[in-house]
Amino acid sequence: MATPSGRSPVRRRSLFKAAGLGTAGAAGLPLMSACGEVSGGDGNVQEVDQTLDILPEYKEWPLPIEPDLVGEPPNHPSGYLQYPNPPAQAITNTPSNSGSYQVYVPNWGPTPEKDDPYFLAMQEATGGTKIEFVQSDGEAFNQASGQWIQAQEFGDAIFMFGWMANSQANFNETVVNRFADISGLVSGDISERWPLLAGRGDAAWADSVWSTDPENPQETAGIYGVPWELSGGPGNGFFYRADLMREANLEPPTTVEELLEIARTWSDHQAGRWAIGGTDYMSRAWFRLEQSGWLWDGSGLVNNNERPEFKEWVTFQRTLTDEQLRHPNVGTPDFDGKTLQRTGEILFDQDGWNRWWQITEMVRASGEDPDFELHPVGALTYEDREPMYHAASGVGAWLFFRKDLGEDAIAELLDVSNYVAAPYGTKEFETVFFGFEGEQFEYDADGRPAFTEAGVTSFQDSLTYTAMGGRTQYLLEGPPDIMQARFEFDEQILPYLDSNPFQGLRLTSPEAGTNAGTVFDEKVNDIIYGRAELSELDSAIETWKADGGDEAREFYEKAYKQLHGE
Amino acid sequence: MAVTAGPAERAAEAPPKTRPPGSRRKPLRHRLRRDWPLVVLTVPAMVQLAVFFYTPSAYSVIAFMDYSPYRPLWENPIIGFTHFQILFEDPYFVDALFNTLQFAFAQLIFVFPISIGLALLMQSIVSTKLRSVFQSIVYLPYFFSWVLVVTVFNQVLGQDGLFSRWLLGMGGERLDIMRDPDTFMFLAWMQWTWKDAGWGMIIFLAALASINPALYEAAAVDGANRWRRLWHITLPGIRPVIVLLLILQLGGILSVGFEQYQLQREMVGWGTSEVLDTFVYYRTILASNGESLGTAAGLFKGIIGLLLILAANHIAHRFGEQGIYQKS
Repeated sequence: MATPSGRSPVRRRSLFKAAGLGTAGAAGLPLMSACGEVSGGDGNVQEVDQTLDILPEYKEWPLPIEPDLVGEPPNHPSGYLQYPNPPAQAITNTPSNSGSYQVYVPNWGPTPEKDDPYFLAMQEATGGTKIEFVQSDGEAFNQASGQWIQAQEFGDAIFMFGWMANSQANFNETVVNRFADISGLVSGDISERWPLLAGRGDAAWADSVWSTDPENPQETAGIYGVPWELSGGPGNGFFYRADLMREANLEPPTTVEELLEIARTWSDHQAGRWAIGGTDYMSRAWFRLEQSGWLWDGSGLVNNNERPEFKEWVTFQRTLTDEQLRHPNVGTPDFDGKTLQRTGEILFDQDGWNRWWQITEMVRASGEDPDFELHPVGALTYEDREPMYHAASGVGAWLFFRKDLGEDAIAELLDVSNYVAAPYGTKEFETVFFGFEGEQFEYDADGRPAFTEAGVTSFQDSLTYTAMGGRTQYLLEGPPDIMQARFEFDEQILPYLDSNPFQGLRLTSPEAGTNAGTVFDEKVNDIIYGRAELSELDSAIETWKADGGDEAREFYEKAYKQLHGE
Repeated sequence: MAVTAGPAERAAEAPPKTRPPGSRRKPLRHRLRRDWPLVVLTVPAMVQLAVFFYTPSAYSVIAFMDYSPYRPLWENPIIGFTHFQILFEDPYFVDALFNTLQFAFAQLIFVFPISIGLALLMQSIVSTKLRSVFQSIVYLPYFFSWVLVVTVFNQVLGQDGLFSRWLLGMGGERLDIMRDPDTFMFLAWMQWTWKDAGWGMIIFLAALASINPALYEAAAVDGANRWRRLWHITLPGIRPVIVLLLILQLGGILSVGFEQYQLQREMVGWGTSEVLDTFVYYRTILASNGESLGTAAGLFKGIIGLLLILAANHIAHRFGEQGIYQKS
């Protein structure tokens, strides 16, 4: 044991000496330099120009079989009531390739084994190209992908949804610095090698263009990704269990007030029954809040956050919490709306359109509940206002290639993208979405592919080859009754679809605006889930404005005025 | 009763400060010739430290740069303390710092003594079989990941957990402790205790084993009761280990963990659970603030940790303890 000192245990001089040494050591030379400005973060505007010379020459790829339900694509897609059996062969000259690649994809479904027979069959069908899909949970993928891309550790290609790209800082800078410019390969007439990619259309390809110099966007433009689906029509659905509603003598709601009444009648917190599941992105339209976040009021842009309708929306959300009408796991990673709706623990839940037909088919296949019936709720209104439904628009995702991948390798992967671009009603579509007969699916009595157990457990809803690109045309999918119902729903909702005030532009918000928005959203979540009081909303709005909201407004207003000539 | 030597005796025993004749330091090459096997043995550890610790640490310099991953490191302009300025002006950083300190002190005050208590309790168990069962039960959770710990707590204390079901069965209300920001500190304390207290106990047990049993026998013969023996033999005997662990904990005071808070963030809200590590993750890696700001926050943590270690070690020396290191 050391000898105790008679001096004071804490000597100020020694402490200051240690503090000084520590600080100097850590700071080093930069201590000597003055504070400078942090560059970047000003936001970016990319024009989606369908007249650019670099775009592939459009050559229509006509559907081999005329659909039974003919809509007005993209907002009112067509569909087949009867599955086109046998499906048409879209690709007659199968390429001969032998490369081996890794593609990073997000995934919310099952994760097939690397050596799943499906991959081997697809390798053969697409011309010999071996692709290993590195799958990660969608949320984890969204959070980690930015670091993978910056570190250039994403295999040979990566699939990114638009909402993932939007959540990343300066994604436009990332694209031109980390991904390959494929203009040299896909510009001009590509119909001989990639007829289906040539049939994707100018709108899809123009939405895959980024410019290296924002000051000179036309001259420095390049195509940096293979566009995924060109979306249209109602973006998502708010689904309800029609069978359980009937059982409880309840009518589907047409207004927010009716929805609340149904929820009050049906929910029983003590019994573990909550009418409402996820509502966050679907319910904003019920209060006429803008999907883009900004509304032109005739003289300038007003953000959703500042509008009285936003306070009404927050109050509605808070009511769901206070009156215990919403499943308590909503807003946490533990919430599994699909399962809860399937088991009847919740009545209503929001999701993409696949929820409707996929969950119905699964329940029908298992025979667990013969009465199971799912339907989407229409455009709900609040206080008798005009209905509004948020529409999907533009390209939903992209497949990006590694910058140094090399033209031959990219061309080989484009062969696969060409295969995947085959629409519903083709053999290629069947292999990509249903697998192979006798393995992942069998034809049912109506001649439609129905997943086998192997298909359900290792394939259905898994994002693998579907990530390699979009199709020439989006057509409705599902069993005939659901297809018919969806077609009618789309027709009925068409007049209420909103329009994007920034249509024709791809905007990256200024950093300050994005950061202030994130902080504001967290505060709003606190209010919604009962961790903060509603009275705190006004001060949160003021903070948002000061911390970056007003800067974002300036940026968006400038873009809006340029676009609309205001 | 005199079980330890007093200052006067110890001063008399202290070695003389001057070197004995002939003990002059040998030249480096002589020492190398003599000690080269030892030097070779340290090489793997040195390489590991250099590659995985010192090299990445050198990149801390980006905290003072306008860094972009799309240009070589040396082309990034140095902007001094701008990122630190941004950091300290950010109210969310201040909140995260406050939460971190709150959790750190709670760990120090409410978990650290539990480990000591558990070790003393364990030492008092006479049956070897019972002791080994107790020991296994208590320190097993240390090897569980935070994901598992939070899941187990959710299964027990969650809305649909064991307690909720039991309460509902008794005609009561559902328990809401997993999502209540007001009780998060208590929840976190339960999780720390369950996961970490057992591991801390092992270290104190090792220290207890090093106390000479003759001291207890002598004290018992002198008529010292159980509390007297605890106060005069046990606690002074493990004091150096307590001080050592305290210093190490102080050094990592701003590193209260990440997973535990990140996993429960959406259940209790960011305002309650945001600590410095989650701040760096959410506000710089995921948000658009960039790597420089995150590095600045990390560097700040490191400097505070270093200062606390130096200060605590210095105080330990002043109180006559060895601390974690001593000047040669």
